[in-house]
Amino acid sequence: MELLLFNIFNGLIIGIFYALMALGLSLILGLNGIINFSHGGFLALGGYIAYSLSPVIGFWGALIVSPFIVGLLGLVVERILIRPLYSRDPLFSLLLTFGLAMIMEDLIRTFWGANGLPFNVPAALSHPLSQTYFFVTGYRVFLVVLALLAIGSLFALLRYTRIGVRIRAGNADLETVSALGINIYRLRAINFGVGILFAGLAGVLAAGRLGLTPTMGASLIMPSFVAIIVGGVGSLLGSLLGGIIIGVAAGIVTTYYPAASDVVIYVIMAVVLVVRPRGLLGQEGLLE
Amino acid sequence: MSIFDFEDYKINRRTLLKTSAAVGASTLLYPAMSAFAKSDDPIKIGQIDPQTGTYAALGGNQIAGARLAVDQINAKGGVMGRPLQLLVEDSAANVGQSVQKARKLVNRDKVHFLMGAVSSSVALAVSQAAQDMNTIYMDIGGHADAVTGDKCSWNTFRTCSTTWLLTAGDFQAIFDKYGKRWYFITPDYSFGHALHHDYLTQLKKAGGTEAGNALAPLGTTDFSSYLIKAKSANPDALIVLGAGDDMINTLKQATQFGLNKSMGVGGPMMELEVLQSLPDAARYGMWNMEWYWDQPNVPHVADFVDAYRKANGGKTPTARSWFGFASAHALALATEKAKSLDAQKVAKALEGLELPPEVALQPNKAIYRAGDHQLIGSEYPGTIKSGGKYPDLFQVTDVVDSSKIARSVEEKGCRITYPS
Repeated sequence: MELLLFNIFNGLIIGIFYALMALGLSLILGLNGIINFSHGGFLALGGYIAYSLSPVIGFWGALIVSPFIVGLLGLVVERILIRPLYSRDPLFSLLLTFGLAMIMEDLIRTFWGANGLPFNVPAALSHPLSQTYFFVTGYRVFLVVLALLAIGSLFALLRYTRIGVRIRAGNADLETVSALGINIYRLRAINFGVGILFAGLAGVLAAGRLGLTPTMGASLIMPSFVAIIVGGVGSLLGSLLGGIIIGVAAGIVTTYYPAASDVVIYVIMAVVLVVRPRGLLGQEGLLE
Repeated sequence: MSIFDFEDYKINRRTLLKTSAAVGASTLLYPAMSAFAKSDDPIKIGQIDPQTGTYAALGGNQIAGARLAVDQINAKGGVMGRPLQLLVEDSAANVGQSVQKARKLVNRDKVHFLMGAVSSSVALAVSQAAQDMNTIYMDIGGHADAVTGDKCSWNTFRTCSTTWLLTAGDFQAIFDKYGKRWYFITPDYSFGHALHHDYLTQLKKAGGTEAGNALAPLGTTDFSSYLIKAKSANPDALIVLGAGDDMINTLKQATQFGLNKSMGVGGPMMELEVLQSLPDAARYGMWNMEWYWDQPNVPHVADFVDAYRKANGGKTPTARSWFGFASAHALALATEKAKSLDAQKVAKALEGLELPPEVALQPNKAIYRAGDHQLIGSEYPGTIKSGGKYPDLFQVTDVVDSSKIARSVEEKGCRITYPS
């Protein structure tokens, strides 16, 4: 029983991290209409840049600076590669980001080497907080707080700022937003940049917890896609909920039948797609 | 055309065809050639190893080792007076791609020998494909027992250890030091299952018990639930059977949870590549290595390490580098011995071939056993140096002569028959 409770609690922690990765994906999928396969590449890049920066500006400095560098890179990619494809079949952008993911993985391999790199988190964060709840480490608490903070501020940005309102309006009806005189190119660029910034942040946080390897992005990003589909495309709260659901489900399954811990999230996704294709909190009409 | 061209976003047949054509074309890229000067009649080795994907670091080191061997051989006049050429293809550790590249290397590039593999599944598949093409295949780094066990074949040889040798290398040391209740975290595929089975056989024989075995899908990133389970089972030792990224992710998280403070941690296969990727705090435990660069009392090892570093920007050779190095040398030596490129004659020459000291680079004899084509050499059990600096990260406590721990050909279930 205690084991089950531990795993549910642990699943919550994992789920919130999934949600953090899913947020950026969800933003970009909503307004830019792009299934961003290169999200994992940007995520890995965030971790690697932080690794290179941390000897100079420390972990905390890297945690702040690296996501912004990655976000800026996202802006450049959007301007040069993504923008010409908005009016094309979504297959084009899908293939582009798919290729981009491979290119980024190989670039990382070229610059930092194929071998994984050791990335340290500050010693103050790297210990369990109590003997009983040994899986609640300082770093994981920090990660959850930061993820919740990021999700909260994104929510506030979308709700209370002019640009946020425009992004949401664009999600609902881009044509009308454009007809009202809003520069949707700029809107989409900003949206893409913010989405990638979140990928970078998740990358730095992941690098502290897991191995820093060129393929880390690819292996981390799949659960986030699932989180979006389960939670509902276009809904940020949905992404959070989706992340938590699959995190907890994977935790529970690991307790009783670990070999299926990978499969269970896809089973949940399949069930949701059959019963409620828009996802738990998804907008009506999207992907239905 | 307006940017709001939202209608009809369906994938039509033409788009699909274009896409497939582009993907197809990308696989036909030319192989990377080694630096040898073009000659009319080189002897060619085709190496299929992962240069992309999870195993890229391991595959890269196997390739670097093979390149060094080929350069050395050519500097001494080649094989049978002909230059040796290495053609490298990327397998991405993918079974289908590996077999396709193997066929291309043999049928189009006309290579005389095949070698490579990090993943056991790839090794098994390429072994079969090479047999169909009547070509020698040297498994450099795929460990599952079956390759030289019940799936052995006349054309396939292996340089790296079997899973049995890996586990037998340090079983006793871990058992004596940590205790007899073991908890396993096992990657859920042939390699992991083989290691678990091999350890368990020895554990039961020694009177130990299994506290639990959690099968983790290959490529699991978050091991926290597994570690929670392991901790609640309260074993004497946590045995980590994963390789590469799986191993890194397990150890990093086990350290954060402080598991190493309440139980021993160890396993059958530690690699310098993994140690390099771990932060200081996560470097601990009792492990087995298959080769180690720091063997001050063994002749030629220092020369090899120097030559390798010179050719690879100061990087220290790992066991993977040595696998590639020894495999290329073995093929060259056997060809020289057979005075022929005929696959069956070379296979006969490889049977019982003893690697010379400047290739073996270990205190014990290294011989490709005739009965199952498995190289029987040494295992290097030891402990990780806490506070060590790369590359000085491992303390070898004992070099085990593999011929003393290896299972016999009959026990492994290998029967080699040559086609007539």
